[in-house]
Parts: sequence; C-alpha cells; structure tokens
Amino acid sequence: MRPWLERANRLLQLGFLRCASLLVPDRQRAEWRREWRAELWHVRQERSPEGAVSWHGEREVTAFCLGAFQDAFCIRRSGRQEKPDFPAMEGTARQCMMAFVVMLVASYILSLLLPGVRAERSLWSRKVNANLVLIQQFDGDGSQATISPRQLRRWEERKQKYFDGFAFYRVTQEIVGVEDASPGPQNKSRSKVRWGVARASVNLFALLGIPVQFGEAGGTPRGDLPGVILSERTWKSEFRADAHVAGAVVHLGSHVVRIAGVAPDGSLDLPGHADAWLLDPEVESGPGADGYVIAHLTPAGSAEIWASRVHITARGPDQSEEDLMGVCVEDWHPTPQGLYLFALFLAVLSLPAITAVSLGESSPSLQQTSWLGRLRRWSFLVFKIALLLPIVYFLSLDLAYGCTTLGREQAGLVQLFSTFSMCLFGMRWVLKDQRQRCPVCLRRVVHPAQVGQASRTFLAWNGTEMMCMGGHTLLHVPSLPTSWFGTQRWLYLDPSWAFLFVGKSAGMENEAISGLL
Amino acid sequence: MAREGKSTEVKLSHTAALILQALDAGFVYGFSIMEMTGLPSGTVYPAMRRLESDALIRSNWERQSIADAEQRPARKYYKLTAAGKTTLEASRKRYPLLERLIPTGEAKTV
Repeated sequence: MRPWLERANRLLQLGFLRCASLLVPDRQRAEWRREWRAELWHVRQERSPEGAVSWHGEREVTAFCLGAFQDAFCIRRSGRQEKPDFPAMEGTARQCMMAFVVMLVASYILSLLLPGVRAERSLWSRKVNANLVLIQQFDGDGSQATISPRQLRRWEERKQKYFDGFAFYRVTQEIVGVEDASPGPQNKSRSKVRWGVARASVNLFALLGIPVQFGEAGGTPRGDLPGVILSERTWKSEFRADAHVAGAVVHLGSHVVRIAGVAPDGSLDLPGHADAWLLDPEVESGPGADGYVIAHLTPAGSAEIWASRVHITARGPDQSEEDLMGVCVEDWHPTPQGLYLFALFLAVLSLPAITAVSLGESSPSLQQTSWLGRLRRWSFLVFKIALLLPIVYFLSLDLAYGCTTLGREQAGLVQLFSTFSMCLFGMRWVLKDQRQRCPVCLRRVVHPAQVGQASRTFLAWNGTEMMCMGGHTLLHVPSLPTSWFGTQRWLYLDPSWAFLFVGKSAGMENEAISGLL
Repeated sequence: MAREGKSTEVKLSHTAALILQALDAGFVYGFSIMEMTGLPSGTVYPAMRRLESDALIRSNWERQSIADAEQRPARKYYKLTAAGKTTLEASRKRYPLLERLIPTGEAKTV
C-alpha cells in the first residue's frame, strides 16, 4: 500500500473515532476517546503493523473503528436512562405550579415591555380631576364655542367663591406639515394635512389632570420650539402609533412646533374635536375668537351640582347678569381593572353552563384520604386559581393594549372578551385538571382505558379508567352518568398492586407534595 | 442481555456470558476479548459497558509508567467482580459449552 494511501486511511479511521465520540456524553467523552485510541493502537499493531500494511489489515482496522459508533450509541442510551429524567415530573403538582408561575412571569414581563401597556398603566395613577365643568350658554348644547377670552379674563380677575381654576381653548382648522422623522437623507419629505388645532391655556392639562403619554419630562417641549400635544386618534392615524413620536417637528400654519406628547383618548371628550393641542400662554390675553372654558369647582361650587349640571350667573362689566350652565366633564371610560372584574364576574356566572363545578370527591371511599391530604388538594386548587387570575389579567392587558393601533374603545372590548374567554376556559381547565388529580399524591392520572360497551351502559360498567402512576388510585369515569354511577369514583389501590409500580412510586408522591407545600 | 435485580439470579445472553468467560480466562481488555470470542468491536464494547453498569465487571486504567516503559498507550483493563463470578457460575450451567470454547487460563498475555 502506498504511504499516502496508508496515511489517508489512518486519518479516516481517526475521523471515525472522533465522529463517534461526539455521540458520547461530554462527561464521558475524554475517557471514551482515550480507551478507543489505545485499543486502536493495539489493533493496528496486530493487524497492520508499520512496514507490513495490507489492504486486508486496514479493512479490519477500519471495521474495528466503525464498531465505535455502536459503543457510543450504547453509552448515549444508557446515559439517558441514568439522567434524573423529567418524565418523573410529568403530571405532578409541582410541574403544574411551575408552568403557571412561568406563564405569570412571562405575561407580566410582556406587559412591562409593550409600550402600549406601559402607557395605559401610566394613566392608572392619574385620573381626570373631579368637579370639572365645561361652561356654556344656558340654553346651548355645548358644541359651540361661546366664551370670549375677554369674558374669561374678567372672571379670573374677580375673586371667585365657586371656582378655583379656569382654562381656555379655541379650535381652528390649520394646514399642518409633518416632517418625516425617520433617520436618513437630509431631504426629508413633508406631508400636508388639515388638523383641528386647539390653542389652549398652558394649565389645561394640569387642570384636567390628564397625563401626557410618550412625552419627554412630563410633556415639556424640548428646545426652544413650542410644544404641541397630539390627540391619541391623530397619533395613531398620522404617526402610526409611533412610541418615539416626541420631538418630531410639525409645521402648524406658519409656526414650527415640536411634538411634546400624546393625550389619551377618552379623557378628552371635549367639544371642538381637536387633533392637537398647542399650549399657548397668549391665548387668553388677545382679543381672539370665542372658545371653550373648563373650570374647576371649589367644594362650595361642587355642592351646587345637580344632575351633572350647575347653574352659573356671571356679571358683565355693566353689572348685567348672564345665565350660564356648567356641565360636568367626566372620564366615563371604564378602567382596565373594572373591565377585568366585570368579565371575571361574567365568567364565574357562566362556568356552570360549560362544566360541572363538582370536584368529583363524593366518592364513598374518600374517607381514605387524611385531612392533611384533603387540605393539600384544596390548597392546590386555590393556588391554581390564584395564579390563573393574574395570568389572565396580564395577558388580557397585553392583548388589548399591546397593539397601539387599536382605539381605546376597541381595546376595552378586546380586553373584555379576552378576559371573559380566558377566565371561563381557564377555570374550566382548572376544575377538570383537579378532578383528574390523584387525591393522595396530586399527580394527574394517566393511561385512559375505555372499559365496557356503550350498548351495555345500563347493564354493566361502561366508562374510562385512568391510573395514578404513583400506584395509589384508579379513577373510574362513567361514559354516561346513571343513577347508580353518576359521577367519577376513586378506587384506592391496595399493596397487591405495588408490583406494577416498582421503581415508579417510591418517593414520587413525596417529591410532588413536598414541592407544593 | 437480561438486566434484572442484582440480588436475584441474573440471566445473561450468550454473548455476555462469553465475555465474562473470556475475562475469567484472563483476556482483560477489549481487543483481546474480540480476538478470543471472534465478536466484532461493535458487540464487545457495548456489552462490556452493560456488564460494568450491572456491576458484573469493573475497569481500571493501567499505570501510565508501565505503558510508557513499553512505549505504547495505557489501556483499560476489565476484571470480574464477585457478583460477576457468581453470575458466570450460573451461566456456565446454562451454557455448558462456555468452558470448552474458552478454557480458564487460556490467556497467554495480560
């Protein structure tokens, strides 16, 4: 045999060993390689020694090396059997609780990461101030702007008994140029749209108590440009719900302004349908057109409210009296918590319609379970429900508010339906799961076997039997409830069954239960 | 190969019994057992892994100094345990030809 061919052959043989060694678990690989290389050295000395290399000898050496694959597979298989295997955890109470905890943590983290949910959460701490009224003409419907800046200044100059704060705004239609804020070439495009722009007193949002979302430093404008606050509707339609919209430059008519944040919908159901709010300190000082006035009532003023309205008498400069009406401005939108509780209530009411609420513990043999066992079983059920509810809450928030393109009302509907569905089917699963847990070790019973025939239901036993792999119980579930076998029954196995569960039952229940309590 | 409880009687396959017999005869490493029994490496080594995991044989590495002195790699030697000897005795009754195939004391070298 030629020397280069001999070398190639040896490389190939070593390659076989190296490939086979990859099948061996890490911790055994080095020793395995060492043994096979030592054996190979001896095989080679015996079959194909230096100076007497033959095809036949090389073939035998190669065949020897190929046997390494079988050896490696054997070690790999036995390594798997020795592992503290996860199947031992299968169906245990611990596994169930771990799955619930993982889901809870995942849904909570997701709710922290989604900008829409974060923004929604920021609203919870602040609500629209109470005792706010929109001042309008006594016989008006509030849709028309009727209060002039001069009139407002007069009210502000006088000492008021019933009001302790006013804010003014006026809505005008303006052509707006929005610069494309995406990074890239300098020749940025500018789209022109028509917006209803409200020029408002700088204290408007503070008076309303509305937080500005996605803004910088509480909505204060950056740089020397005046700040404009977008309505949520405009933010979604014109800026595709961009969470980083703050700082973008907008051309309002001849003015250049910078976006300072987004005002959430629902909190601003004020007349005028403004698309953007430009906070202008000069709006009250000039002559200007009529606008809308929001006023905050003192306790004395709020005592005068009747049916969400309060009658106001204003004195003119000539001491003439003018009748006005204050209509309460309220944030009527339900909160996510309120929606969640309502959906949960509906789900609890609907639950008996889709599943039996019994836990199937009316078996006459139940007395075989100790009070401690029953306590564990009930605690397990309580834990499952206690974990399910926050999971549903966070998931429903993620679904409803994670997608920022949804309107506030649509998001509320999504939350309502998702909460209802998840609560209903989640609790159904919890009850079903509980019914199939061995009363002794809380493992799920497995290996369902259909016993009997449907045609003999009233003559003999017909149903499904499941077995606890800990060797404690058999569960009989009738296919068709009858007067003599209406609900599932537990059969407690005596020690004569133990041979079926050798090596499986020992310590299983202790592990499962100690992990739970 | 049967892998039953160690305290009860262990019934070995013919291959496993042959390997035990070879070890008892003094063939104490994989290649020598292959040579003696005529079994391929893909049979002998996995069988020895199983015998070792069943505690019928045990292995130990040769001292490196001995291997260095003979200018060869150190090799892994196998030896029957007490349980292995008992099992081999039982297997000999089951497979009477074992001792004829590999007489005890057959090995020339270790």
